[in-house]
Amino acid sequence: MGFDPKNPLKDRITDIGPRDYKEFLPPVIKENWGKWLYHEILEPGVLMHVSETGAKVYTVRVGGSRLMSVTHIREICDIADKHCGGKLRFTTRNNIEFMVDDESKLKPLMKDLEKREFAGGSKKFPRGGTGSGLTNIVHTQGWIHCHTPAIDASGIVKAVMDELYDEFQNMRFPAHVRISLACCLNMCGAVHCSDIAILGVHRKPPIIDHENLPNMCEIPMTIAACPTGAIRPATVDGKKSVTVNKERCMFCGNCYTMCPSMPLADEEGSGVALLVGGKISNRITQPKFSKLVVPFLPNEPPRWPQTVDAIKKILYAYVEDAKKYERLGDWAERIGWERFFEKTGLPFTDHLIDDYRFAYTTWRTSTQFKF
Amino acid sequence: MPTINLAGKTYEVDEDGFLQELDKWSEDFASAYAKEEGIDGALTDEHWKVINYLRDYYAKFGIAPMIRKLCKETGFDLKKIYELFPSGPAKGACKLAGLAKPTGCV
Repeated sequence: MGFDPKNPLKDRITDIGPRDYKEFLPPVIKENWGKWLYHEILEPGVLMHVSETGAKVYTVRVGGSRLMSVTHIREICDIADKHCGGKLRFTTRNNIEFMVDDESKLKPLMKDLEKREFAGGSKKFPRGGTGSGLTNIVHTQGWIHCHTPAIDASGIVKAVMDELYDEFQNMRFPAHVRISLACCLNMCGAVHCSDIAILGVHRKPPIIDHENLPNMCEIPMTIAACPTGAIRPATVDGKKSVTVNKERCMFCGNCYTMCPSMPLADEEGSGVALLVGGKISNRITQPKFSKLVVPFLPNEPPRWPQTVDAIKKILYAYVEDAKKYERLGDWAERIGWERFFEKTGLPFTDHLIDDYRFAYTTWRTSTQFKF
Repeated sequence: MPTINLAGKTYEVDEDGFLQELDKWSEDFASAYAKEEGIDGALTDEHWKVINYLRDYYAKFGIAPMIRKLCKETGFDLKKIYELFPSGPAKGACKLAGLAKPTGCV
């Protein structure tokens, strides 16, 4: 039955949830479910899992741009039909994995994936993203779709991955490096817990549209949205509105999320901040939050050269200096953050010193430091 | 800005159909708008109970009430609210009650 707008509740199906994942498993996965003995990374982007029954499954991981057309999905389906019995999966970092159950099927699949390119020359399905290398960048909407971003997402991700493309196809880092991006400090995704995080920040307070604010915003919600208590109710030209204490505003943009009459994005004011040293695994050390190391870099579409440059500086200082298995945050903590800034060549400024509420614990209460 | 014609009057609304000049709200607005929101026939007393509660709360506190508050005060559970307003308490009831559009990560 087609949807009838005159009777929207007729034939309505609801609350059926997602499809059961078992419906889509390749036969070899289904048969060996819960029986895997060990796995090997045969080469960058290729994994082999061996079951206690002796069955093997070969996985080829290829990069995905995350934002993709139906045409592209259909091409992915064509590849899966041709080589993998119509089955495939996406990873939690939006890579694509094709699985085959026999080594003889592996080479043709890899060859097929390799030769596919977009008209502009970009690889459609670059193989990689395994082991101690670089994998996909978890990112957000940016200027494609969101209304609160300070930076773009897809554009910066493409610029960074182009520059670090070799690392996606290799495994020569001390440990795996997770880069992620969020276009405002809502931090949708993983920036607060990534080895290197790209974050959109503002540097100017919101501009208040007093004319429309009373009709578009719930004033108490707007006031409560401010983490520093900078917003107060006010009467402007006889209308209820708010004022912002600019001295207290740190440009988080929370008020704009709650109130459309307080926009703050600005061509010069908004840009990129870089955070490093986060992780979520419990391997050796506990999970960590990433820490701010570059307070601001300007928006430079379409290639963001300064941002890309700073990321490369941080990444290769780490790769050169860290011990095996050491994540970026583990390395920085072992050598001390003053050495981190020395080795990466990044300037340390007062912006990096925490001053939010109980910031005291982040200061040094010790004489232990290196000159 | 788009406008909507309801019962012979023109109202300014945003692209989601939320009233832009909150003081223009009238009972006629709600009654005429109900059809657009998938409500069959005229608004019942139960509909009005929800709408009036939303308007009173907004007038008093300047915000829309939390869902739990709405359910507790009207005595309707969320399921009942959805039966009354198929598009839900925010997109349905608040829109008819002439409240500001819900914001945040909705």
